[in-house]
Amino acid sequence: MMKIKIEPEKCTGCRYCEVVCSLQHYDSVSSKNARIHVFPDDTNQMYFPITAGPYTDAQCTCKRMITVGGKEVDACVLCPASCPARPVFMEPGTEIPLKCDLCGEPPDPLCVKYCTSGALSIVEI
Amino acid sequence: MDSYAGNVLRVDLSESKHTIEDLDEDLARDFIGGRGLGSKIVVDEVDPNVDPFDEDNKLIFAVGPLTGSGVPTGGRYMVITKSPLTGTITNANSGGHFGPEMKGAGYDMIIFEGKSPEPVYLFIEDDKIEIRSARELWGKTIHQTCELIKGQFESPWEAQQYRIACIGPAGEKLVRMACIANDDRVAGRSGVGAVMGSKNLKALVVKGTKGVSLHNKDQFKETLKGVMDKIKASPVTSEFAPTFGTSGSVPLFNESGVLPAYNFRQGVFKSAEKISGQTIAETILIGREGCYACPIHCGRVTKVEEDNYKGQGKGPEYETLALLGSNCGIDNLSAIAKANYICNDLGIDTMSAGGTIATAMELFDKGVISEKEVGFTLNFGSAEAMVKAVEMMGLREGFGDILAEGGYRIAEKYGHPEVFMGVKKQEFAGYDPRACKGMGLQFATCNRGACHIRGAVYIPELYGIPEKIDPLTTEGKAGWTKIFQDFTAIVDSAGMCMFTFLAIWKDEMRAMLNDTTGAGYTMEEMMRVGERIWNLERLFNLDAGFSKVDDTLPKRILEEPAPEGPAKGHVCELDKMLTEYYQLRGWDENGVPTKEKLSELNL
Repeated sequence: MMKIKIEPEKCTGCRYCEVVCSLQHYDSVSSKNARIHVFPDDTNQMYFPITAGPYTDAQCTCKRMITVGGKEVDACVLCPASCPARPVFMEPGTEIPLKCDLCGEPPDPLCVKYCTSGALSIVEI
Repeated sequence: MDSYAGNVLRVDLSESKHTIEDLDEDLARDFIGGRGLGSKIVVDEVDPNVDPFDEDNKLIFAVGPLTGSGVPTGGRYMVITKSPLTGTITNANSGGHFGPEMKGAGYDMIIFEGKSPEPVYLFIEDDKIEIRSARELWGKTIHQTCELIKGQFESPWEAQQYRIACIGPAGEKLVRMACIANDDRVAGRSGVGAVMGSKNLKALVVKGTKGVSLHNKDQFKETLKGVMDKIKASPVTSEFAPTFGTSGSVPLFNESGVLPAYNFRQGVFKSAEKISGQTIAETILIGREGCYACPIHCGRVTKVEEDNYKGQGKGPEYETLALLGSNCGIDNLSAIAKANYICNDLGIDTMSAGGTIATAMELFDKGVISEKEVGFTLNFGSAEAMVKAVEMMGLREGFGDILAEGGYRIAEKYGHPEVFMGVKKQEFAGYDPRACKGMGLQFATCNRGACHIRGAVYIPELYGIPEKIDPLTTEGKAGWTKIFQDFTAIVDSAGMCMFTFLAIWKDEMRAMLNDTTGAGYTMEEMMRVGERIWNLERLFNLDAGFSKVDDTLPKRILEEPAPEGPAKGHVCELDKMLTEYYQLRGWDENGVPTKEKLSELNL
């Protein structure tokens, strides 16, 4: 199975992945309808590109910290789900939850192709 | 046309009202967008002789058709107004993420008119537009302002959806080189932040969810692929700039005799390596940052641990190192970074700040300005004094009140106009024109005063892109200057960063414009747009009282030979280049566009 591997320590926060994701899926380009978003973590001065996973209609109750590359990061930042507490990955206007489809079958994600920082790559797992 | 938002938002700050107009598509075709369209509004609606701080001056934020479209570096916005530093028409642009957000909200331009009776900020969420009180924000630094605005939202997720462009205390206090900041990037030059301050406008807070429509998406994706292949194939855009940022140019420019030192008395700085991008990468660099949709990532994130200069932030870039560093005789990297952080927080252009301090340092050196007047010793090489001067300038405190007027006005005030190193009252960028003569012509003729970026002839002169030309001759420089000026006007109007020039050129630009907008420009038509914009700006300046005598360089550059380096013995022979330049431009011997030229350009 193919998967997008994310190495946040390499991300420069340019959000090129967002705009080309939109370009792949829509006639009208906007970061706001992308299935990948770059979340800034101001505390650690890092950026986390996160691909959209399944939508959940309930907010989870566990707040926890995860260690990434020696840094404590709020797990909520890294969560691929949209939820009522964090309504990201929703299509503006329709509010339909979006999910990464790896740009089709076989997977050929445009976000990976346009990421020059090395933060995104496609790997077999 | 596709790829435009289609609306122009006009905000009357005096009456606290706004109106929305349709974008004029014929004008969009003739001026593309961004800088071109904004300049057209200024020329049509602003009296060239108005005091830039008068409420009749207008401040325009404009994006281009390529902003947010998916092209590499397509995230820029432009600010256009009459400059309080130069008195010319001006434009300053910035990357970061503000531009695409503004376009996503549905506006190609936001035109600010009048003056608010009290501090306000503009809040935009797509069609919702509110002029809100900024009483709580007034007096706050740029970072404090952003924190306070972000703190008003319910969650960090919500706050992240908004982008802020704002001024710091320098803009409020009408410091003539105040900038407008967004996402730690700035629309830096020529005092656009001071015009914003004069209107009592503290910030723009924007969220936009609308998309950019594309004329021919399939063709556009093909074009993009080719553009990205070129960016990835160029060693400058794929290795050099990402690894060292613009600061990586310090060694090359120093070896070329271009790196200004001691207020342009020299073009070689003995301890250049201490302030190079390569040294930054080994010492204070903690990360790099890319603007919206940028594959180059030239932004530097640095952290200084040294006690006196402790801090963390963005920069320094090449121009900052050259002007607050070598040009002030300073090789203390920590101090330059600290001064950069202060500029970012108070909201001043690091380049004019450096040029101004170097002017004051030379006057101090000559004994014209005394220690008593300044409050401390302001000599070349004193890192501590430079950092202190930057802070005082941004806040207009003590002697800083005089520094805040810029190098030209200081040199005039003390009766030594010859020590001001700039053109049309704007300080030089970090290039000694005696060692890259095309840059001398660019500085002398640029519509916003001495500026390196609106006609970057140093790219062929020093980087050899698109071809290597000899920096020490005047031959062919008029042609190169014209083409870079015209082409940059197109890129600036489209909403891209001129760094893409390092990998792509006219063909790619035309393809991107046509695929997105459907305007169907021929190469000739597209280049004519650039020339039209340049001439339009020139006409405003002529009406504002500028003439051939202002297209000049300081005596030091024209008459005093460079003392060392590859340009040793050289001066910048401007006259020869200027005559040829006027001819190529279709201007008369006084630098006035001829009737034939204007009719050819539909002006």
